[in-house]
Amino acid sequence: MNEPNDQFGKKAKAAFDASVDKLDAATLSKLNASRHRALEELTRPTRQWSRWAPATGVAAAALLAVIWLQSPTAVQDAAGPVNVMDMEILLGEDSIEMLEELEFYSWIDVGDLESDVG
Amino acid sequence: MDVSTAVFAVSCPGTATTGTRALQKERQLNRFLAEVERRALRIAEIAVRDRDEALDLVQAAMIKLVRNYSERGSEEWAPLFYRILQNGIRDWHRRQVVRKRVMVWFGRQSGDENEYDPVAASPDPTGRTPEEELQNSEAMQGLEAAVHKLPARQREAFMLRMFEGLDVAGTAVAMGCSQGSVKTHYSRALHALREQLEEHRPE
Repeated sequence: MNEPNDQFGKKAKAAFDASVDKLDAATLSKLNASRHRALEELTRPTRQWSRWAPATGVAAAALLAVIWLQSPTAVQDAAGPVNVMDMEILLGEDSIEMLEELEFYSWIDVGDLESDVG
Repeated sequence: MDVSTAVFAVSCPGTATTGTRALQKERQLNRFLAEVERRALRIAEIAVRDRDEALDLVQAAMIKLVRNYSERGSEEWAPLFYRILQNGIRDWHRRQVVRKRVMVWFGRQSGDENEYDPVAASPDPTGRTPEEELQNSEAMQGLEAAVHKLPARQREAFMLRMFEGLDVAGTAVAMGCSQGSVKTHYSRALHALREQLEEHRPE
């Protein structure tokens, strides 16, 4: 334990220690009860369960994932024609053509604005 | 060890070892908590100025330490326990601020700020003379008031270093800051307290 070595520190520590020694019996009894209440935590069964809770959660998630992937409907949904169509729309030639002609579309916009002003 | 216990220990050696270890751990924790509880209570009491609230904070810290850190080495318990306690004290102060705001909102004052008397009127178990008792009580009263006026971090550093006797590294763990910060807070606390208590020093 770190003891103060200057006069002020020694006096402060002595005053504090005296106040600790002066604690009344009722307070000491409450502290004792608190300590025993805390030590009961060592034998609580929920503590063991809560320690494994994160691992249990991960295991449950993994199990659900396996079940879902092995399910025939899930496979059909995940890699079936609907998803392929989505990809075709996203990467379809029309889209690329539109991107290539962006300059043309912006030129049309500018033309429209000028005609509005004129 | 009686015969039934011995038979059980021989037939289930693993269980007996685990049981012995658990019992040993419980004894260690009991010893540690019994050693720190009274100082912890006074430290919490100085911080929150209310004995019942301080008792609640100490109990909560004990439970959290046992629940979450009982498997740690016993040399780590003191800084961890005080870290939990200091967090509890900070949360308590935050709740008080909110409570006061709510009270003001409803036009009420809590009115309990001056109710606490730090000098309990109980007989001195250490057998000091009334003069010594009075001197110590007055010194502690003045010190307690001065410590309470310190900024929170300085108060934490001072109480953990001076009253609990934690070293700089342990105090840093308990406060959740660097060792450099502990030194700064502690030094400022000492300076402020010396200035404040100068007038109370006997001639």
